[in-house]
Amino acid sequence: MLATRKWLEALSSPNGVLKTVQRNGRQHLSKIGMPARTQDPWRLADLTRLEELLSLPVSSETLNSSSSEQDSLPVVPQDRFRLFLDSRSDLGSLSLPDGCRLLSNDELERFLGQTLDKCPSTTEWPIAINQASASCVLGLLISGKKVPPIEVILRANSNELMPTRLLIILEEKAELDLLQVFLGEANSAQSHLLEIHVGSDAKFTHSWLARGSGDSSLMSQISVQQDLNSEYALNFIQYGWEFARFESSLLQVDGNANSTIRGLQITKGIEQSSTHSTVRFDGPEGSFDQLQKSVISGSSHSIFHGLIDVPKIAQRTNASQLSRNLLLSDRARIDTKPELKIVADDVKCAHGATVSQLQQEELFYLQSRGIESKQATNLLLKGFCYDIFENSPVELENWINLDQLLVSLQ
Amino acid sequence: MNSQKPLEELVSQPYKYGFVTDVETEKISKGINEDVVRLISEKKKEPKFLLDFRLRAYRTWLGMTEPNWAKLGYPVIDYQDLIYYAAPKKSQKKQSLDEVDPKLLETFDKLGIPLSEQKRLSNVAVDAVFDSVSIATTYKQKLADHGVVFCSITEAVNEHPELIKKYLGSVVPMNDNFFAGLNSAVFSDGSFVYIPKGVDCPMELSSYFRINSGDTGQFERTLIVAEEGSSVSYLEGCTAPMFDTNTLHAAVVELVALDNASIKYSTVQNWYSGNEKGVGGIYNFVTKRGHCRGIRSKISWSQVETGSAITWKYPSCVLQGNESTGEFYSVALTNNYQQADTGTKMLHVGSNTRSTIVSKGISVGRSTNSYRGLVQMGSKAVGARNYSQCDSMLIGDNASANTYPHIRSQQPEARIEHEASTCRISEEQLFYLQSRGIGFEEAVSMMVSGFCRDVFNQLPMEFAAEADKLLALKLEGSVG
Amino acid sequence: MISSEAPLILEISDLHARVEDQVILNGVNLVLRAGEVHALMGRNGSGKSTLAKVLAGHPSYVVTAGSVRFKGEDLLNLTPEERSRIGVFLGFQYPVEIPGVSNLEFLRVATNARRQQSGRSELDTFEFEDFVHERLKVVQMDPAFLERSVNEGFSGGEKKRNEILQMALLEPLISILDETDSGLDIDALRIVASGVNQLATPETATLLITHYQRLLNEIKPDFVHVMSNGRILRTGGSELALKLEQSGYEWVDESFANQEAD
Repeated sequence: MLATRKWLEALSSPNGVLKTVQRNGRQHLSKIGMPARTQDPWRLADLTRLEELLSLPVSSETLNSSSSEQDSLPVVPQDRFRLFLDSRSDLGSLSLPDGCRLLSNDELERFLGQTLDKCPSTTEWPIAINQASASCVLGLLISGKKVPPIEVILRANSNELMPTRLLIILEEKAELDLLQVFLGEANSAQSHLLEIHVGSDAKFTHSWLARGSGDSSLMSQISVQQDLNSEYALNFIQYGWEFARFESSLLQVDGNANSTIRGLQITKGIEQSSTHSTVRFDGPEGSFDQLQKSVISGSSHSIFHGLIDVPKIAQRTNASQLSRNLLLSDRARIDTKPELKIVADDVKCAHGATVSQLQQEELFYLQSRGIESKQATNLLLKGFCYDIFENSPVELENWINLDQLLVSLQ
Repeated sequence: MNSQKPLEELVSQPYKYGFVTDVETEKISKGINEDVVRLISEKKKEPKFLLDFRLRAYRTWLGMTEPNWAKLGYPVIDYQDLIYYAAPKKSQKKQSLDEVDPKLLETFDKLGIPLSEQKRLSNVAVDAVFDSVSIATTYKQKLADHGVVFCSITEAVNEHPELIKKYLGSVVPMNDNFFAGLNSAVFSDGSFVYIPKGVDCPMELSSYFRINSGDTGQFERTLIVAEEGSSVSYLEGCTAPMFDTNTLHAAVVELVALDNASIKYSTVQNWYSGNEKGVGGIYNFVTKRGHCRGIRSKISWSQVETGSAITWKYPSCVLQGNESTGEFYSVALTNNYQQADTGTKMLHVGSNTRSTIVSKGISVGRSTNSYRGLVQMGSKAVGARNYSQCDSMLIGDNASANTYPHIRSQQPEARIEHEASTCRISEEQLFYLQSRGIGFEEAVSMMVSGFCRDVFNQLPMEFAAEADKLLALKLEGSVG
Repeated sequence: MISSEAPLILEISDLHARVEDQVILNGVNLVLRAGEVHALMGRNGSGKSTLAKVLAGHPSYVVTAGSVRFKGEDLLNLTPEERSRIGVFLGFQYPVEIPGVSNLEFLRVATNARRQQSGRSELDTFEFEDFVHERLKVVQMDPAFLERSVNEGFSGGEKKRNEILQMALLEPLISILDETDSGLDIDALRIVASGVNQLATPETATLLITHYQRLLNEIKPDFVHVMSNGRILRTGGSELALKLEQSGYEWVDESFANQEAD
């Protein structure tokens, strides 16, 4: 309770467009206090890391990012549009490409929180932290199919907790290709709250790269609401954070939509990385396909908790979920819980999970062709991660040095 | 023609074991406290070590809270409103069946469990437990010739106290969970099996549990110990009369397998499940656990769960001995307002341990059928393997099927594979069978039985036929 | 040609049927007598398979008008299983897989249901094994298929052989074979066709539903019917099938249009 109170006291008084949200968030946070391991969503979490996260001051608008950091980022390809979402950017003066406009403050007040409330309930605490502290918010409205791919970069500097909030609405028949990149400096933390509303017949291709370093933390929460005949595909990669918690909550409002999630989390050292995903179908004939992969090394702990919820109304749903895990070290730990809740008889639901190390026969095969063991391991690990990259835009590879990352696991 | 409707009606066969036997019963007054625990122990003329065990368990239980994580909806149980001891009056264990109350023999006859010598099932020894008190054990002498002990726990306490002292509570400690704690304090009777070193038990052993009293909590305790290189197959069957109140059944089963020993434990559970409106039925909160203590030991659980208003049961294996094997094969059929939350825990401790889980859940009507399981590979479980398969079949659009597997590994050289799927009886499959002259009922029954085949194959022969019949019975009836 | 005095097996009169809201059969008339082999041809979607399913009593199809008599009795009032027991057999175009249900057991239960209906004694497990092994020869099928689940993991050809095996066991009076030739290579086609020929007797009738002439080279039909838009547009001898092979179905449509115009 003390940690929460101290953190709340250090916040500047509510202001800006999120003033009311902040006020409510703070109230709620002081009511619920810190998570406890007796609470189901936190049963496996390392709670000391949450306290560490609260020990960081919330990033303020006066800080300026140094230009050298800007230079270190990959250049923006010509046909893509890049923007920075942090408390330092002047979002109001953004000039956005055609088919894409900023939501006005009035619209933000009207639409923020709608998708969040509608989607299956998620863990309260990370949301309350974000609501209590975020002043940086961006709302985008996408219309038509001509919008160029957009990159949103979220960077936290050392010694700060950066809360950000994003709302994206795709109008009917709109299409968007979005790449989000989260970068965490040592001893930084991010809290990100994202709401997505995919209108009917719209299509959203979403890539997500979260690259931490040192003792950085990331808590992110996505709520996706899909209307009839819409498509939503998410490819996400999360690695390098001492503490990372990714939570997604997806709702097919009237069923009859397509959703895909492919996730990869790679952990090493003492990192703890968890993915929690919930999908619910509030109408018939929805389809959902999920592949969640983890590579776990060192003394790290990887967690996956996936729930597919098929209520009675969701007849003829077709959903599948596969959790595949590579455990590379005898000090590392994996917990995976792929769950199904079904109250409809005419559905196809399947899930599966595997945990193993690299196949010795495969390693041996490569070695017998003269490839030394380290390189062979690397090749196999790359193969394991392949499906996630295969379905992501090539630009993603500019942000990640996979070879280097995989070598660091061995 | 919509086949879904009759499909649901099909499974609404009335419970045929719902009669009450009119025998004089000795009951103590309602409620639980230390005096009640002492009284039970006194009535059973127990040695001091067991009374101490019960009292310690009672005190432990007082500090425990009833679990609510299983998300089972049931009204609060008033533990002071239950009777903790009931026994047929002439409860002295009989030397010969001739002395057993003929009404009891008749009861078991009606249930298809003939105890009289001439009608006995071939090669199955039966321990009949009536209201948690063992009334007869057959083939005792023949078993004794092989050194096999098969008797009630009460007898074992007096005749083999050293074994009871050594093993009782060693697999399911009294502080394990709320219901195990309660059982440890007040357990009335149950079966005890001891297979000496190197002996393959010459016949199937079977306990048949019958609940007769409506307001009495049922707390049996079963303990099976298989010494080095021995093996045994044990069967358990359960029925109860129909009451419109709920009866609590909180049994504890402990299995111990030493080096190279193997225990196969099969259950066909058909407690009264309540009526079609969900009134009455047994609350079946059972703790079953096997400990593969020795190297290359094996414990295999098979169960066919069709009864009880609520089932809460996770027969588990602690695979401690290197190269030991754990198995769990389960069929759970729920109908009306039944809830079944069942599954297993496979805790791999030793190296090269193996486990297999096959779970088939069939939900009908408004029932809920959940698989909940844990597979854990400890840090020393090098080369351990697990394979799990959890399939659900739904009949009717109000039925629900949930799967909650938890997989945890701390050992890279362990392999875990889990698969789960959900299906229904498709109209096309039904039509295909019908178009070959097979009636609707039989077609459904064939498909349900086909769905369960992997599990039935694991049951001992006599039981497999019984289980198949039981499912067919549940699926039989009023086709419109 | 067969004498028209041969006993009637199946009389379909003005049969109309729909599935959900879609009308598929639009007044079908067809008469089959004992000893006759009929071929029913037509494009995809012309209603051929629907007719087969309606005759077998598939629950998704609703008969809205017309009648079907089997040996003079009303067939449409019977459940699918009753139809099978009195001797109506449908060989499915896509036989479903039924995991877990043993093929052997399925065949035995089905055979006994038919035998019981026709007043013959039921076969016990041993008698049935002898019977089924003898009948396996009709379709040159490996006995290993008996040990598997119904159609599960069978190839297309194996499924079709399993259908003809069922026909051999059930000894129906009328066999309706829905595109039994589809997906078969030429060897499998010959085996299946020879099975059908072996099983055809002067007491039974056969209705072959097919797209192609090649099956009709193996099983010679007495009558060929062409179906379009849920009706039989043309009926002729085996020469009609050859004409179709050469000229395609448009020829039928055109000639029918001309007929209408007359």
